[in-house]
Amino acid sequence: MEHTVNAAKCMKCGKITYPTHFYCPACGSTDFGAVAVEGEGTLLTFTRAYTLPLDYEDLYLTLGIVEMDQGIRATGQLDIDEPATGIRVLASVGPVRDVDGRTVYGLKFRAV
Amino acid sequence: MRDVAIIGASTTQFGRAQWSLLKLMAEAAHGAITNADLGGRKIDAVYVANMGSARNNRQAGIASALVDRMNLYPAAADTVENGPASGASAVKNGFLAVASGMCDLVLVAGGERMREVNNIEATEFVSFLSHRYAEYIYGITLPALAGMFARLWMNKYGVTSEHLAMVAIKNHSNAMLNPNAHIKMPITMEGILHSPDAEMNNPYIAEPLRFFDCCPVSDGAAAVLLAPAEMAGEFTKKPVIISGFGQATDTQAVHERPDPTVLTAVQIAARKAFDMAGLKPRDISLAELHDAFTILEIAQSEQVGFFPEGTGHIALEKGETQIAGKLPINTSGGLKAKGHPVGATGVSQIVELVFQLRGEAGKRQVKNPKHGFALNFGGFGNNVVATILTKGA
Repeated sequence: MEHTVNAAKCMKCGKITYPTHFYCPACGSTDFGAVAVEGEGTLLTFTRAYTLPLDYEDLYLTLGIVEMDQGIRATGQLDIDEPATGIRVLASVGPVRDVDGRTVYGLKFRAV
Repeated sequence: MRDVAIIGASTTQFGRAQWSLLKLMAEAAHGAITNADLGGRKIDAVYVANMGSARNNRQAGIASALVDRMNLYPAAADTVENGPASGASAVKNGFLAVASGMCDLVLVAGGERMREVNNIEATEFVSFLSHRYAEYIYGITLPALAGMFARLWMNKYGVTSEHLAMVAIKNHSNAMLNPNAHIKMPITMEGILHSPDAEMNNPYIAEPLRFFDCCPVSDGAAAVLLAPAEMAGEFTKKPVIISGFGQATDTQAVHERPDPTVLTAVQIAARKAFDMAGLKPRDISLAELHDAFTILEIAQSEQVGFFPEGTGHIALEKGETQIAGKLPINTSGGLKAKGHPVGATGVSQIVELVFQLRGEAGKRQVKNPKHGFALNFGGFGNNVVATILTKGA
């Protein structure tokens, strides 16, 4: 099954927001269409987090915020051994967490 | 609107509690009530600040439960939940109840018993504050958000790990003078950053933040008693006036902020509080800031207006924020060392300011303070409450 992470594109002014809000932050409209968070971007900041929630068995998780070329930012997991701010990354969607025995899919970034 | 005074203030010992959450809050509330001379007058309303009692302590309806535990019926009772800013939010609600004329005597109690669950569950429960679909599902925790924020801030302003350690060293040293603080352990730059053991003593929690950059998981409660300023003289010789409040919200997902190093809600909340009080940042004698992570004390000290952009760490380096400095910050030990029982924190910041303004802060007393400022930071800055207190006549 194909998984996507969607942002919201305002049908009135075209602004893309992620995550979605009930009112468009640019024009106040309530009419949105789904647009996938996808493609390349630049790593803005990151952390290796060592105190993890119960759902993880990893020693640490590498998490980051990416400035997507499509004009939004997104938080996600980094599949990058030695991340650095400013590097180019590519988004994909994969398993990011198990919640109550169910796999949750979300954004994973790797270096390009 | 009537002016409102704090006529009683009290806190429990912070740390690992031997008591239930209700007993903790009752002890703090009793301390605040007996701190004033009520002459048999009844409390009209109770506001309780708490974030996790239903999850961590198997008690919902915590405000009603506290009224029952103490026997304060038929006082009105409401629980106020605003994450780590619940405390100042509850004081604000108490203030509004008195200022409006609806109530005369209002008790505000904040408490949290986080150590009833283990540390990992406590971190998990606090991570529920993050955006469910854009942050939480990735394993984002508050330390992770703070780590990403710290990296941006350090790169932008040339702040180093040593600067972060200076916040921790100062606040640990202040907590040594606060009998109610959770952590009473002096630390040194050598011990936590430069010695061969530093890597073991002070491991990374969320890079670049280390263990000593993060607040502990604490139990504790704090309470204040409010009355109309015009009646305060009947109940106490040392009233403290609530002279300003400001509150503002910001995006829940940190990545959505136009510049994630700008804490817009902090700036707006502080400005509103200063406007209401008719004061400027330079009028403030001491401040309690929300140093859940060391980087936040530096960032907030600039964004509330005490120091120009990019110079908070320089003021820290010069000792300006020490107890004997120009603007003492976190004389109580801050969240870093006094501890951070989330529901209690905002109330306890206000309690520290009351002790200082009354000249009752013992060995950590600041010389002749007139106005105190508190900043209570909810989520990762998505709901912030600023409070200004002024020494009564």
